[in-house]
Amino acid sequence: MIKFIAKRLGISLVILFLGSALIYILTINSGDPLQGLRESNAPNRENLIRQRTINMRLDLPWYQRYLTWLGGASKCLVGACNLGKNAAGQDINSLVVNAAGSTLQLVFLATVLAIFIGVTLGVVSAVRQYSGFDYATTLMAFVFFSLPVFWFAVLLKHYAAIQFNNWLVDPRFSVLTILVVAAIVGFILQAAMGGPVKRRLMTFGAVAVVVAGVMFYFDAVMWFRRPAIGLPIYILGVLAVGTLILYLGAGLANKKVRNAVAATAVVSIVGYAVMRGTLLSDPSIWLLVGCGLAGVVAAFVIGFFLGGFSRKKAVIASVNLAVVSAFIALVDLLLSNWNAYITIQSRPIPTVGSQTPNLTTDFWGHVIDTLTHLLLPTITLTVVSIAGYTRYTRASMLDVLNQDYIRTARSKGISERNVITRHALRNSLIPLATIVAFDFAGLIAGAVITETVFGWQGMGNLFRTGLLAVDPNPVMGFYVVTGTAAVVMNMLADIAYAFLDPRISR
Amino acid sequence: MKFRSKGAATLGLVLSGALVLGACTSGDDPATTTDPGTTTSATMDTSDTAAPAEGSGCLQDVGITETSDGQISYSTGPGPWDGYNSVTNRTYSTYNSVIAQQMVSGFVYFGTDGTICENTDFGSLEVLSEDPLEVKYTIAEDAVWSDGTPVTINDYLLDWAAQNPEWLAPGYANGDNEEAAVVFDHVSASFAADATEGPKGEVGSKEFTVTFDTKNPDWKIIVTSALPAHVVAKESGMEPDALAQAILDKDVASVTKAAEFWNNGWTFNPGELPDVSLVPSSGPFRLMADGWTDTALTLEANDKYWGTPTGTKNWVYRFLEDAAMPQALQNGDVQIIEPQATVDTVAQLSNIGDSVTVATNEKLTWEHVDFNFRDTNVFSDAQGGLALREAFALCLPRQGIVDSLIKPINEDAVVMNAREVFPFQDNYEDVVSQSYDGRFDEVDIEGSKAKVAESGIATPVEVRIGYRAPNQRRGETVAAIQASCKDAGFNVTDIGSGDFFAKDLVNGDYEVALFAWAGSGQIASGQNIYSTGLPQNFGEYSNKDVDAAWSTLAGSLDPEVHAEQTVIIEKLLWDTLYGLPLYAHPGLVAYDSTIQNVRDTSTQDGVSWNAGQWMVK
Repeated sequence: MIKFIAKRLGISLVILFLGSALIYILTINSGDPLQGLRESNAPNRENLIRQRTINMRLDLPWYQRYLTWLGGASKCLVGACNLGKNAAGQDINSLVVNAAGSTLQLVFLATVLAIFIGVTLGVVSAVRQYSGFDYATTLMAFVFFSLPVFWFAVLLKHYAAIQFNNWLVDPRFSVLTILVVAAIVGFILQAAMGGPVKRRLMTFGAVAVVVAGVMFYFDAVMWFRRPAIGLPIYILGVLAVGTLILYLGAGLANKKVRNAVAATAVVSIVGYAVMRGTLLSDPSIWLLVGCGLAGVVAAFVIGFFLGGFSRKKAVIASVNLAVVSAFIALVDLLLSNWNAYITIQSRPIPTVGSQTPNLTTDFWGHVIDTLTHLLLPTITLTVVSIAGYTRYTRASMLDVLNQDYIRTARSKGISERNVITRHALRNSLIPLATIVAFDFAGLIAGAVITETVFGWQGMGNLFRTGLLAVDPNPVMGFYVVTGTAAVVMNMLADIAYAFLDPRISR
Repeated sequence: MKFRSKGAATLGLVLSGALVLGACTSGDDPATTTDPGTTTSATMDTSDTAAPAEGSGCLQDVGITETSDGQISYSTGPGPWDGYNSVTNRTYSTYNSVIAQQMVSGFVYFGTDGTICENTDFGSLEVLSEDPLEVKYTIAEDAVWSDGTPVTINDYLLDWAAQNPEWLAPGYANGDNEEAAVVFDHVSASFAADATEGPKGEVGSKEFTVTFDTKNPDWKIIVTSALPAHVVAKESGMEPDALAQAILDKDVASVTKAAEFWNNGWTFNPGELPDVSLVPSSGPFRLMADGWTDTALTLEANDKYWGTPTGTKNWVYRFLEDAAMPQALQNGDVQIIEPQATVDTVAQLSNIGDSVTVATNEKLTWEHVDFNFRDTNVFSDAQGGLALREAFALCLPRQGIVDSLIKPINEDAVVMNAREVFPFQDNYEDVVSQSYDGRFDEVDIEGSKAKVAESGIATPVEVRIGYRAPNQRRGETVAAIQASCKDAGFNVTDIGSGDFFAKDLVNGDYEVALFAWAGSGQIASGQNIYSTGLPQNFGEYSNKDVDAAWSTLAGSLDPEVHAEQTVIIEKLLWDTLYGLPLYAHPGLVAYDSTIQNVRDTSTQDGVSWNAGQWMVK
């Protein structure tokens, strides 16, 4: 295995090196960096051209320029990168670090969400193959996949930012809106749940009533200006999630796991009840992370000691519950601070940028500010990349569901839930590992169009502006990071394969 | 399409006193086509009447007495901002200039119509003698940098030295040595070239005199604003006065030492704003500590500014693409935007409603078609001559082009009938009435046919129209000419290409060139375009009378002479048909209707020229 990895690394380095030469040559030949000055008719134009020639080393032959760059870049191997300077004299190292940070912030959440939602939809539509839900998912996946990002972004800015902010001044639902939304949500869920007509009707009815009720409530208390979850709803949420985890995982019958999950739920609830006041009044990032970690560690310990024979299952279920509980708690904390935020920021959803300049507010205000700025680009990126995951998961899942061992499992009388979650899902994720790995490599490359329309200055922007100025150094800085990420992620995918598919590591 | 030049030079001019670098270049963004620019003499009538009270284009008193809290966000493009010193070759861009403009004040600035206005808050200038031209500059007693250091001759000495005078870089400023190596990476050399002896005065004093080598009508914009010399001195390990003395003593070693910081020390990596003491301000705003995030740069009111205080405390420059601007404005993310003026953008902004005010105007950039006068070319006097040029002018649908391409953006747009003055300037009517009789106002196909016959050139006449592509508006312009001139016997071909300026224009492989010049308020720069053998005379036009008129104009400081010669030049250019002016480019500004005192300008300074007066109602 080590020999294999070493060999792979060696080949990757050679590829990176050849690629860098190619990109360098393509970039410096992609245009004329003196174009602007050529069109200028300043009396000292010749001087200006000469100065830029000297600044950008245009007087040297291409290989000499490339070798100069390579000399600095190869120091990356010993941890002392020198990627040169751009045409304005800024360090590429610093530009890349800045851009990568911005991009990761922008794209990470979107990628995680896209994977999560995409895989879920894919699994459900495979299980409900050829149902209305399947067709609808497929249709929507393709529609969103083929959406021009800039156009979708404009629509989103109009409805989710400008119109939403207008509406937020007096957040009311009309009765018609409530009825239509309730009907739509109910319809979608009944299609996903499936079953005979009677069960579908019941699902539809129940969901519609709940949704309508919630909306009436929100309308009545102006919830969108003063949202809150509060401790009671938090408790209900944790208990519901615990039940769901048991149901999907080990099954409600497994007493050991059940006890572990119940104990975790109690610890989460008590812990949050104790800490909520402090987190609201005197928050900090370390306190927040500390509380989250404490919950997870506690869950691990509980699962470990209460799990007994089902130790592994108990640990996984408990930790999952702790993570979800922490997330609900975070949402509760954010919502509790929403009103304070919209008092200083009357139009909370922005259309551009990564933060409000010079905002004077507390910790939670800044967190909310960052999230509101992430909202629209994240939705855009998620929606356009869900399609791929949905289709791959569906195909892979169907493939697995038609395997002999699934039929065997079913004929042994294993419940359909267990067949799908344990026998089918895990195997169907194997081919997905490759795509996910590539997507994470692509993640750092940024999203050129999304960054542009939402005014973020990430990797895509670095690449684009470098190329437009025919300035090779920023482009090469971009290449070094994304190329390396691709190579590393590819290798991780191979290792993940071995982990997911025991046959490979054998 | 590009109607306003991003690499605009005017700002730099104001900032650096870089007289001759009036060219707007295509800037950093080849994705949008830009106009090659030059500096046309736009201000015949106002050049010598620069007192603010007289020029309506200058800053008006809006009654601001104190700064109110709050902030106003503004965007003119995606940036980036690279640093404090915006006049090095590396950092010379519109974005840097727009921001630097708020942080350095100088003796003069451009008013909205290109008028050169004197900034009496900053100081005064007085002509001591006209032959040779000797000017005394006096900096206001209370003029200080935001760190408390007075603005003095020291700053202007460095401004002069930074333009690489003869003793520092022999043969550079005067162009004698094409291989001359520079010490300072300055975009301009005009101060050093036109005042070879530099500023004269006591080190550290508020007064100095400059003697210009020539009677340059544009002398006023040579000495304008300067960067803080005391910071350069300190960062280079010198006393401020020692650096100034070194410049007076022409001490090459010491000055070269200072150049290192001047060239590189004011360029910052994104988000890494240095201590504010490194970037002091002599203008209404200064850089705010930690005010630089990836998409915004904040300037705050300069509490040491001695002039009229700013209306609002913070001024935020947002880095946005044009496409993102209208919705950001509608959503209140920015309050003032200045995108490219396109029909779509104007429509989108107008649809927002009363909450946003949309203002369009005409810029100091003008579109024109120029003939190729090389003997091998059909329009040259050796071949088709004036008759054929007139034939082409008669079939050129100038009004139609303005109606279909410009009026949808700015309904007040008119066909331009002059080259050295703009329709929105006071003396336009005067100049046009004396130089042009309206003979090419209407398309006259029959007249055009007759002129072609008179020229003796066999039809169809092949005409290649070149421009820097891609440019949708110019493509449509060529199509309109194509359709109209076909009947008169011209076979027009569109040869627009990305390297038109690098190849076809230089080699003369075109009949008609379509492009724009950007004016920057200079008086004599047109000489380079219309005089025999000068570098901007791409079509190799040559006329002794025009040459003589330009020489007279460029060698005089008298506005009467300027006005008189301009009429002569315009008339000759119409009579010999150098080319045809089409229109002044439209400009667009949109702002939140609650913002007061937003005043658009035709110059390349952009609407932020009076940012200090912006206020929230």
